[in-house]
Amino acid sequence: MANLPKRIIKETQRLTEEPVPGINAVPHEDNLRYFDVSIHGPSQSPYEGGIFRLELFLPEDYPMCPPKIRFLTKIYHPNIDRLGRICLDVLKSNWSPALQIRTILLSIQALLGAPNPDDPLANDVAQKWKEDEKTAIETARQWTRTHAMS
Amino acid sequence: MSAKVPRNFRLLEELEMGEKGLSADGCSYGLEDSDDVMMSNWNATILGPPHSVYENRIYSLKIYCGSEYPDEPPSVSFISKINLPGVDQRTGRVDLSKLARVAQWSRNFTMEKILVALREHMAHPNCRKLPQPPEGTEF
Repeated sequence: MANLPKRIIKETQRLTEEPVPGINAVPHEDNLRYFDVSIHGPSQSPYEGGIFRLELFLPEDYPMCPPKIRFLTKIYHPNIDRLGRICLDVLKSNWSPALQIRTILLSIQALLGAPNPDDPLANDVAQKWKEDEKTAIETARQWTRTHAMS
Repeated sequence: MSAKVPRNFRLLEELEMGEKGLSADGCSYGLEDSDDVMMSNWNATILGPPHSVYENRIYSLKIYCGSEYPDEPPSVSFISKINLPGVDQRTGRVDLSKLARVAQWSRNFTMEKILVALREHMAHPNCRKLPQPPEGTEF
């Protein structure tokens, strides 16, 4: 990994030196474009108390194209599918090279606090969320206890 | 040096190719369990190539991608019984070193490439007329 772009080196340094509260991102020693990430579920959300593991990869064209990121911890959320893939505009069409790993992780944490069932990735979850939000939130709490608190 | 795509993101790319039906002619593949976050076990099919004894038969296979994939090749086995050099006649396991195109494994190779190589192997003059077990039997 001799030719790691300066931009990535700087972002990594800043993530370590000035970490974002509730978010942790550490590159793999053998692949500095590949990060182990954990995000604490936001308070006042059904994910509160949970620690969610994710993986993040900076493709060759980063920052011209967005990072690739997905949840490894199972999560019940209308914008996250069963394989942990995330539906979030800034990871797709609204990506800009001015965004960073840090801002993306904050957006994902915000998404946990504000599920958007009108732009779903997990259709069954989104439908449940719209039909019976109370039960959906309770299911999300249960999943958090089962999968994100061990 | 170019970025090295980690196993899981590589498998997600392959999954999307398979889901969009972008796989090569006569081959398809997908996750065995759509909840499997590690994406280890896959199902695949090969449509028997034309002008061979395999024509019009659909062959089912299973593929296992271990933790070292794609640095290491996956393990590939036929579920449908087939008489084909390089396929273990007791287990259905495919010996990838017998397939010219993938024998020298590279991390750029995909499950699709293996399936295409197998289908070509079935159509090879040395293989395409071999006597076959009855259709519908399994290993």
